[in-house]
Amino acid sequence: MNIKGSPWKGSLLLLLVSNLLLCQNVAPLPVCPGGAARCQVTLRDLFDRAVVLSHYIHNLSSEMFSEFDKRYTHGRGFITRTINSCHTSSLPTPEDKEQAQQINQKDFLSLIVSILRSWNEPLYHLVTEVRGMQEAPEAILSKAVEIEEQTKRLLEGMELIVSQVHPETKENEIYPVWSGLPSLQMADEESRLSAYYNLLHCLRRDSHKIDNYLKLLKCRIIHNNNC
Amino acid sequence: IKQGILSPLLVLSGLSDGLSGLSDDSSKEPKFTKCRSPERETFSCHWTDAVHHGSKSLGPIQLFYTRRNIQEWTQEWKECPDYVSAGENSCYFNSSFTSIWIPYCIKLTSNGGTVDEKCFSVDEIVQPDPPIALNWTLLNVSLTGIHADIQVRWEAPPNADIQKGWMVLEYELQYKEVNETKWKMMDPILSTSVPVYSLKVDKEYEVRVRSKQRNSGNYGEFSEVLYVTLPQMNQFTCEEDFYFPWLLIIIFGIFGLTVMLFEGKLEEVNTILAIHDSYKPEFHSDDSWVEFIELDIDEPDEKNEGSDTDRLLSSDHQKSHSNLGVKDGDSGRTSCYEPDILETDFNANDIHEGTSEVAQPQRLKGETDLLCLDQKNQNKSPYHDACPATQQPSVIQAEKNKPQPLPTDGAESTHQAAHIQLSNPSSLANIDFYAQVSDITPAGSVVLSPGQKNKAGMSQCDMHLEMVSLCQENFIMDNAYFCEADAKKCIPVAPHIKVESHIEPSFNQEDIYITTESLTTTAGRPGTTEHIPGSEMPVPDYTSIHIVQSPQGLILNATALPLPDKEFLSSCGYVSTDQLNKIMP
Repeated sequence: MNIKGSPWKGSLLLLLVSNLLLCQNVAPLPVCPGGAARCQVTLRDLFDRAVVLSHYIHNLSSEMFSEFDKRYTHGRGFITRTINSCHTSSLPTPEDKEQAQQINQKDFLSLIVSILRSWNEPLYHLVTEVRGMQEAPEAILSKAVEIEEQTKRLLEGMELIVSQVHPETKENEIYPVWSGLPSLQMADEESRLSAYYNLLHCLRRDSHKIDNYLKLLKCRIIHNNNC
Repeated sequence: IKQGILSPLLVLSGLSDGLSGLSDDSSKEPKFTKCRSPERETFSCHWTDAVHHGSKSLGPIQLFYTRRNIQEWTQEWKECPDYVSAGENSCYFNSSFTSIWIPYCIKLTSNGGTVDEKCFSVDEIVQPDPPIALNWTLLNVSLTGIHADIQVRWEAPPNADIQKGWMVLEYELQYKEVNETKWKMMDPILSTSVPVYSLKVDKEYEVRVRSKQRNSGNYGEFSEVLYVTLPQMNQFTCEEDFYFPWLLIIIFGIFGLTVMLFEGKLEEVNTILAIHDSYKPEFHSDDSWVEFIELDIDEPDEKNEGSDTDRLLSSDHQKSHSNLGVKDGDSGRTSCYEPDILETDFNANDIHEGTSEVAQPQRLKGETDLLCLDQKNQNKSPYHDACPATQQPSVIQAEKNKPQPLPTDGAESTHQAAHIQLSNPSSLANIDFYAQVSDITPAGSVVLSPGQKNKAGMSQCDMHLEMVSLCQENFIMDNAYFCEADAKKCIPVAPHIKVESHIEPSFNQEDIYITTESLTTTAGRPGTTEHIPGSEMPVPDYTSIHIVQSPQGLILNATALPLPDKEFLSSCGYVSTDQLNKIMP
């Protein structure tokens, strides 16, 4: 696996900080020695950090969705319009606990990585489009920027975890492609708002899935189903 | 079509509501009361029963649900799989029907008409069961025996799958005294045990805990109340009290003795330190114009007024150059501080500083500091250029030794002014005048209560002025400073050094200083400056106001001042406070 040490170091530092900020009951994490080509962090710590990140990302997504809804679409029946499914709906993601328990560990990890990869581009465009909005809502924009940033970190972390747990895994770059950019740029305001609503709704849902899946995997792999 | 799937249904439900209301007087439609999932694997929905007083009876109430599948809303509504397990007027969805990230919509129908409808996703309706197995243990009791700390522990609700990580719960603990009514709440915690501090030993407490899924859902019901009765340890308490005071007495006794022993020494230290430290705020509070002047404080011996006076009176400059050694402390120096200037200038520098609290005459090295902006601008360039040929002695301005202006000092000043000391032109850069030191900073900087300006430059040119007017009798000076010229008027001593109004150009400069006292005093003015309106007061040496770290300081931008006349600038080139007050509103 080609894992760049430097971005991972930065992400580890970020994870450490976010860990300190968000998790009160997480044991102190070791700091990677500066200059090390590859940080040797235990799998337990990797999972702990990943869970912290995923939790944080989901929080941000929820807040961002709430703020968007409150500001633009509340009470206008948009929820009934979310007929457009999320671009990640094609992935065989477990929808309840039994399904989550049945899926095997390797596939589970690959699934998470695929979801994260598939959100790189939508998040990038989300940030760009919101930034270009007239009177761009700062609260929403800042959260979008943060989510985009943290998702990249989480993806790096997940790739590192996969390399440790399943070193033989061939890197599978297949992930669902998002093609909703035109709808974000539509001239008609209703359609445009609907597209944003859908995107943020899907982001909230997928971030929740990732958070949940990681917590399941952490308990399964690290704590042997005895969290 | 898909978009409109629910809206007409909602409309219908509203209509049916209205219709039934018309037919019956107090019939209530069945409505959803609550949907809840305790463990995120199943959920159930409840509704109110229809209340009918009228003859019309509703058909069986049915619940239909739909959930959005992979791609789109499935239009088909399925009926509730289990009307029984969750009780009456309920529908129970077991785990096979429960999906987490797929939203549901349910509707209640009666006689084919929808009476209520709602949509949700399961995470939103998660409400965990109450925690179980609450217990507490005593952590410690305070030394006084009045308070105690306990640790409360509990277990997660059994149906919440914590072990596999399917649910992550947070808990809220509440406690109160048994006879109180209001519960005290603690912040949410993620662990299943928490300490509770400072419970009173003689009271009985109730404790309860409830749980919530982190980040979604609502708090579940409270657990059963845990009663906490702390062990009364009266006897033990008495024993503690019995022994404890002795120890305290011994400790305090030793401490007191130690304090007394060192008290004397401490006082010495305090006196030394106080000069620098503790007095500083006092000084600041006294004077609104405070300037920091770096002083060379070598030995306390040198610091007494007597020596200064002697130096004043004697033609020999007794300054020990050692005194002039520039104190190298950083504080108090302005950026343009140049120690070299002071050393060379000290010869002609008869700075007599009256210090109020600090009876330590300090050489005002800082004058160059304060005035360096002027100096460098004025002394070095204008003055030296304007009066290059002046080889005039710098006039020593009589000064008061007291910080506050004393009217009686006038005579004294004149006396002192009689001792004019000559200085080299190079010494013009020196500080020949006396500034009143009101405080000394810890670093050795001296705080001048009146601003002081280097009059060296002016003194150079002073000679050029004719002192026409007589010495003004009204040397009613509020401060210790007044123009050389004024002093000279009263001193029949040649050479006359004229206070030149070369200060005028300096006035336009930024950092000319005006002492507070100068602003309030009446400085005597030489004849040439008779035009000075208003206050016939001795003009102090300062014309500029410089804010030096004083909240009350003013930066007087000379250019901003409307200078009525050039004569306004006295022969000394200084503006008294009165004059200034007239200028400025």
